[in-house]
Amino acid sequence: MKKISIKKIWKTIVGDKQLLAGVIGLIVLLILALAAPVFATEDPYHFGKDMLVGLGENGHILGTNHMGQDVYSMIIYGIRTSLRVAVISALISGALGVLIGGVGGFFGGKVDTFVSELINVFMMLPSFFLILLIVAMFGNSITNVMIVIGITTWPSNAKLMRAQALSLRERVFVKSARAMGETKRQILFKYIIPNGIFPVIANTTMGMSNAILTEAGLSFLGLGDPGIISWGQMIYTGKQYITSAWWISAFAGVAIVITVLVFYLLGDGLNHVLDPKYSKKRG
Amino acid sequence: MKKFVIRRALTGILTIIIVFALNFVIIQMAPGDPITTLMGKENNSPEMRAALEEKYGLDKPLPMQLVSYLQTAMKGDLGTSIIYNRPVSEMIGEKVGATVLLGLTAALLAAVIGTIMGIFAARRQGGAYDAVSSGVSYAFNSMPAFWLGLMLIILFSSILGWFPSYGMTDNRASYTGMAYVADVLKHMFLPVLTLTLVLIPQYFRIAKSSVLQTSNEDFITTLRATGMSEKKIFNKYIFRNAILPTITIFGISMAYLITGVTLIEIVFAWPGMGRLMMTAITQRDYPTLMGIYLIMSISVAVVMLIVDIVYAMLDPRIRYE
Repeated sequence: MKKISIKKIWKTIVGDKQLLAGVIGLIVLLILALAAPVFATEDPYHFGKDMLVGLGENGHILGTNHMGQDVYSMIIYGIRTSLRVAVISALISGALGVLIGGVGGFFGGKVDTFVSELINVFMMLPSFFLILLIVAMFGNSITNVMIVIGITTWPSNAKLMRAQALSLRERVFVKSARAMGETKRQILFKYIIPNGIFPVIANTTMGMSNAILTEAGLSFLGLGDPGIISWGQMIYTGKQYITSAWWISAFAGVAIVITVLVFYLLGDGLNHVLDPKYSKKRG
Repeated sequence: MKKFVIRRALTGILTIIIVFALNFVIIQMAPGDPITTLMGKENNSPEMRAALEEKYGLDKPLPMQLVSYLQTAMKGDLGTSIIYNRPVSEMIGEKVGATVLLGLTAALLAAVIGTIMGIFAARRQGGAYDAVSSGVSYAFNSMPAFWLGLMLIILFSSILGWFPSYGMTDNRASYTGMAYVADVLKHMFLPVLTLTLVLIPQYFRIAKSSVLQTSNEDFITTLRATGMSEKKIFNKYIFRNAILPTITIFGISMAYLITGVTLIEIVFAWPGMGRLMMTAITQRDYPTLMGIYLIMSISVAVVMLIVDIVYAMLDPRIRYE
């Protein structure tokens, strides 16, 4: 494998506008999430006596909701939920996609026919409704939500990995590994997956955006985890007060837009950097 | 062409069978026994239990159960709502028109507007218009549709008072004829606007990138070298080739569109499938929920199939892949 120096990574990041914006955004989000107690002005789980208070009143920067919770602090803590959902579900979806797609592309033949047909079928299904159905029937804990998003969104990752495996299979270093007597499983995990995983990484980053939007959509249908603070739920509860206390929904939505945008930019940036065709066009 | 159509149709049929199988697996795996799930927790009628067991053949082994489940479903029997005690298919049938009206209007508007915007952005690549429209499309792409809907209600209904925020018709007035159509159009405006805005970015992106890609192809360079005017090259060659991927996106975005429509319907209390789904969720009406999932999956599969075939008719390269 190529040696990757920190200097080179830095140069790549600074060289692509979208990637740079995404990385900066991600760092800011991580800092806010990790140091949430420092940035929040109040305990977001605390039900205060100021109910439906407007912007800036009584020290509530973005007002309060119908339970007297501080909207600004809820938004800060909501980053934790969104990032958790994004990362865990994307990891599940990425791992499944890499394994299924890798096996299909590398083994070829009947296995591949089966895998690619499976991918085609699952690409056709409206995954949001499947997620919704499962969450409605199996319970709406955040763990369930994350797992279900993960296991329903792997097909696009599998499709990319399969294409990579198909072309890597014919490369000399893979063929020589086979001649050296390495087993198929060794080849898959040592050569195929590590060399073909980059497009999947970019796609997984985009998948994080979709995971955040899916969680928000579920929460908006009342299928969110009531035990945690999430932006989707804030929009859901704020819907009833949309004419009198618009701030409950409005700012939570802004937070979603910004976070989703950060992951989109990251994914797009990674795609540009990892796609040799694109860098050639610019250089 | 015939071979292509048959192959795609087989995938479509396979998809529908898998949807049914998934539904079956979910009922089997859900907490509690399947009959309780279908009957509702508060319902203790032994007659109904026996009837359901008989209907789905629950005394037989699992594979046989799947077969009898498929047979019942293929007859158009999607079960009975445990809340309204009516066939699920009938309830969905009443609501589907309103959903299609909303979704189709928005999808067509978004396809036309997004494609035009994308072509313009590609023609002026790197310019101010390109930068602004690309940025805006990024932002709308990141927006939860239901939130955008709420914000538009604040602006157009609460502050400006231009458009109604609720329902499909004015309940207090009973219009007929043209007045009725005008009333529905007025109620449609905000939900359609919301959906169109969130759908535009996909078409914008695909149109922009395919125009750019086609412009870089060798045959365009050759045409330029012959001295053909830029305008003619664009109208006759680039545009025609670049418009094709839009059709694919129209198919792929079906699943996304249906999700968007459902959530938007809930925001605007539009009397379609989304509303039906919301009530089914809050009342734990699982047969209705599963029926909606089945219908939606099947319609998406059918639309994607049609789109694929249309695409293959327009672009011969696809048929001989």
